[in-house]
Amino acid sequence: MKRSLQYLFVRAMKNMRRNLFPDVTTVGVITISVLIFSVFSLIAFNLASFLRIWEDRIEVIAYLNRKTPAVEVEALLNRVRQLGGVESVRYISPSDAMAFMETRLGTQKNLLEGIQPTVLPPSLEVKLHKEYRNSARIGEVVSQLKGFSQVEEIQYGQEWVELFSSLVHILRLTQWVLGGLLLLAMAFIISNTLQLTISSRQEEIEIMKLVGASPSFIQVPFYIEGMIQGLLGAGLALVFLFLLQKSVLLYFPLSMKVWFERIPILFLPVETLIGTLLGGMLLGFLGSFMASARFLKSGG
Amino acid sequence: MIQMLHVYKTFPSQIAALTDISLEIFPGQFTFITGPSGSGKTTLLHILFCSERPTSGEVIVNGIDVTEKGFKKVHQLRRTIGMVFQDFKLLRDRTVGENIAFVLEVTGHPPTEIQRRVLEILKWAGLLGREGDSVLTLSAGEKQRVAIARAVVNNPSLILADEPTGNLDDQMAGDVMKLFMALHRQGTTVIFATQSRDLIQRYPYPVIQLLRGKRIEDGIGIEIKA
Repeated sequence: MKRSLQYLFVRAMKNMRRNLFPDVTTVGVITISVLIFSVFSLIAFNLASFLRIWEDRIEVIAYLNRKTPAVEVEALLNRVRQLGGVESVRYISPSDAMAFMETRLGTQKNLLEGIQPTVLPPSLEVKLHKEYRNSARIGEVVSQLKGFSQVEEIQYGQEWVELFSSLVHILRLTQWVLGGLLLLAMAFIISNTLQLTISSRQEEIEIMKLVGASPSFIQVPFYIEGMIQGLLGAGLALVFLFLLQKSVLLYFPLSMKVWFERIPILFLPVETLIGTLLGGMLLGFLGSFMASARFLKSGG
Repeated sequence: MIQMLHVYKTFPSQIAALTDISLEIFPGQFTFITGPSGSGKTTLLHILFCSERPTSGEVIVNGIDVTEKGFKKVHQLRRTIGMVFQDFKLLRDRTVGENIAFVLEVTGHPPTEIQRRVLEILKWAGLLGREGDSVLTLSAGEKQRVAIARAVVNNPSLILADEPTGNLDDQMAGDVMKLFMALHRQGTTVIFATQSRDLIQRYPYPVIQLLRGKRIEDGIGIEIKA
């Protein structure tokens, strides 16, 4: 069994060497298709990772009524701390808010000259537990905060989170729809190029049938060949994707590079890389299966 | 034992290639099938080789009813049959040795046995020392000897030869016939299709004559009229 598999593998490799041009064409087509699919995967993966970072930083700001007496603040803080999903809460007084604004404005802080801190409302800065930092669960905390009479307004960047979340969702959907179509096209292209390869070996196949080769003995090398082509194509696509990402980052303007230092641009995770390679092999197998089924079925 | 019982073969173009053919060939027998072009010799051999299915009738090859519904072990049956063609059907991009070894590789023999058996059969076919030569460098007679060597390397019990001397001159045809005679002496059943009456008349073997797909008068080679 082991020897047979070894022999079939060696034959598949020999076949590939003998039919270099159609094989290179097939690998090239797989590379381009997987590359397009992987570009989508990479963008979606990075946006999702960006969304996760953003969600990690999500805070709920509850603006309090200016007339809230200072003695009530401590009790309010304690009550908010008791709410489900709240990790920590901090009171921001008007003067704290003013100091924060000055820091943010930097050299332009003179814009705040003549403005009294009392125009700014006091607020509570509420940090949430990790599992609450998403557009779905944040609402639970917000509705509880709205129940406090001292709370006048609540801000948590809900629209942005939801918009971004939808964007990632759309991108993922596009990736799978477009990717699915591409993969289907790939299977047909692989099948057709392999059919060319198989028909170029018609003589050999005919002789194999004449001398009593079993159908599996004839077909298995083609399956192996398809899988090798799929693996090579997917592997090359990932290498090109890596180089593409590096070169794109290299040519980003300086202003954007500073931005990217805060948001890491990642390459695909190992499990996605392995999945892509296995997917390439599976596609190669399907393509060769279709081709050999069509071709080898005919004729005795 | 080879048997054909009321075998008909009609191609989709409605051409009747064989009409009501019945025959019986015993193990170890040498049989000529003769007739002009289009008489059905090749179709008959292809039916025995299972590369064509008869339209109706019963065919038994080496004791197996190949016309039975659901018969799928064609490749296993073919390992017991050696087929030789007029156009040799050799792999042009391989050497003499590789062409013969190919059969043994396909049928799962270990490399050491393949090497031993190839040399043995090359010696038998008078081709020892030519194993490394490309088949493209061989004469037609040599190519046919390689094809015969390939057909018999697996020790088949039946040889089907479709006009194996058709492309050869008398000298080469004589050399090739010697190999078939040797096989016959070893007890292999040989069914030899040829148009050449000159060739048939040299041997005392049974002859089945076909004409337009029908079996006509039979005879013995040396008694067949020119």
